[in-house]
Amino acid sequence: MRPPARAHCSRSPRGLSRTLLALLTLLCAVRPACPATLIVRVQTPDGHALPGAVVTIRPLEGAARHAAPVHALMDQVNRSFAPDLLVIPVGSSVEFPNSDSVSHQIYSFSPAKRFQLPLYRGKPYPPTHFDQPGVVTLGCNIHDEMLAYLLVTDAPWYGRTNEAGSWSAEVPHGRYRVELWHPRLRDNEAELGRELTVADADRAELTLRLSRPLQPAPLTDRPHSWDY
Amino acid sequence: MARCLHRSALLLLLLASSAISRATDWELSLDTRLVSSDAYPSFMDGGLGTVRFGSDDSGIKLGRARLAVTQPLGQLFSAHLDASVFDDKDRSALGVTEAYLLFRPYPRAGYRLRMKAGGFYPPVSLENRSSGWESPYTLSYSAINSWLAVEVRTLGVEGTLDWLGTRTGHAFDLGITGGVFGWNDRAGVMIASNGFVLTDRQTPLFGRLGQPGVQPLNGAEPFMEIDHRAGAYLGLEARYFDRAVLRVLRYDNRGDPSAPDTVSHVLAWETRFTSAGLRIEAEHGWTAIVQWLGGDTTIAPPSLTLNWPFQSTFGLLSKRIGRSTLSARYDRFAVQTNAPEVYGAQDGHAWTAAYIFDADAHWRFALEWLRVTSSSENRQEAGGPPLANETQWQLAIRYALGSGTR
Repeated sequence: MRPPARAHCSRSPRGLSRTLLALLTLLCAVRPACPATLIVRVQTPDGHALPGAVVTIRPLEGAARHAAPVHALMDQVNRSFAPDLLVIPVGSSVEFPNSDSVSHQIYSFSPAKRFQLPLYRGKPYPPTHFDQPGVVTLGCNIHDEMLAYLLVTDAPWYGRTNEAGSWSAEVPHGRYRVELWHPRLRDNEAELGRELTVADADRAELTLRLSRPLQPAPLTDRPHSWDY
Repeated sequence: MARCLHRSALLLLLLASSAISRATDWELSLDTRLVSSDAYPSFMDGGLGTVRFGSDDSGIKLGRARLAVTQPLGQLFSAHLDASVFDDKDRSALGVTEAYLLFRPYPRAGYRLRMKAGGFYPPVSLENRSSGWESPYTLSYSAINSWLAVEVRTLGVEGTLDWLGTRTGHAFDLGITGGVFGWNDRAGVMIASNGFVLTDRQTPLFGRLGQPGVQPLNGAEPFMEIDHRAGAYLGLEARYFDRAVLRVLRYDNRGDPSAPDTVSHVLAWETRFTSAGLRIEAEHGWTAIVQWLGGDTTIAPPSLTLNWPFQSTFGLLSKRIGRSTLSARYDRFAVQTNAPEVYGAQDGHAWTAAYIFDADAHWRFALEWLRVTSSSENRQEAGGPPLANETQWQLAIRYALGSGTR
């Protein structure tokens, strides 16, 4: 998940003359909006990288900011949602085409968005809007094993950790709250969150380590003709 | 055999073409077997063999020809029909193993209701989880689930309420199921006459067991209503994510064992059982299932009460490697009785080993070895040995077509 595009500001002094470097340093000192790279690393309790964790960053000071809504797609292929997790800003819309040859009947009873898409194949329905932040758990009323999540967020910066368990965003200097979410998290989300100040440096790092292992991942190699 | 195959293919095609519309999900499959067996004739042939194919059946046999149709009826209802041909030993070659109407409203606030009406299996088996109530692990079902396939079906209504905890951030789902049914007053005949068997032949609704005029089953019909008293069952299920399922069920057909049918004069059998099972699935394709079933069946002809307690347990271990599934199962089973000359007493165990290769969505190949060791009072009475070993080899090739395999 790419963070929304932001105005660029030079952050690497390498290759610049000493004069330019001095000027830039001065500029950043007087302009707190100059971005720095905030790198968030997520680790399992035994210290291994955790890919796929959702990281959100909200500023604790200054005017409230929101990411621009997006139009996203969650397909249904081989009786599975693809992808099985989407992070979208509040106000976004998602299409749920069914590429399978069997019919699906999508539902969510999550407080953030209750909705149903009556039995269908193909792409008969317009996109569904998500205007409340929160986790939306999706299922199929015909195929119990189908499970996916939408995280609707009001954070201006969001994304998922890569294979190395890290994710980064360009943020202006300031104070932030960094939060972590994963569909199989056993930890209390609030306790995992951290506040930090991105100060003068052009780079800040934060490592979040789970205190409890994740819940077991859904088994993926079961034939589709089996019951759940 | 060829005539039977030809007739069944024609019947299934006819049904398929008339039933299928755009919104329908359907499956059509043909499963043929190469059989080598040294077993006694099976119960359908009037014998006391404990496996589906007796020594006379060695050669090419029909495993199952099947058509299943699921037709949505509006948004919340669907009709399900499962029709099969196993052989030509019943009244008609083609029979319906399950036919029901399902009501499945959308889950609300973490709870989900399901209602079924028609003819279907009560939720006992943890093994028969593939379409058509087949086992993905072996060709022959365990002794417990073979008995259900032969004699037990719900002809009535069933309601299930599930709490979908795993959809709301919890580790468990919980469910409670209740069923009320009729037309199962003769469940138990097979237990008392032949004991447990290991088969994958599912008696069609209102089908018969054995052949008319041939003892001991004499074409008995398990799906009869004799005493006009509804039976009932109550079951509980707990799931830990998608890794473990625990299922417990108490079943009582509430038969009046002294009530004879006014036309055929056969008695209702009062059959009650409790079953409990656990299925665990782990990473790397491992599955383990243990299941236990214990109960009794009773008839009370004038001035006599005959009772057959029965118990069976099995343990199954299976490993999936890519498209291959390797499984081994051990079954134990026993029937006791207070009947004169201990009619119907049985004690035995069975080993099953199977290799299944799912080549693609259409083709499946399977090889199974099944060996049953049992003592049977009835078989000994009929001139057989006190203890018999029966071995059945099956090589199966199945071709399937359907809306899910296109």
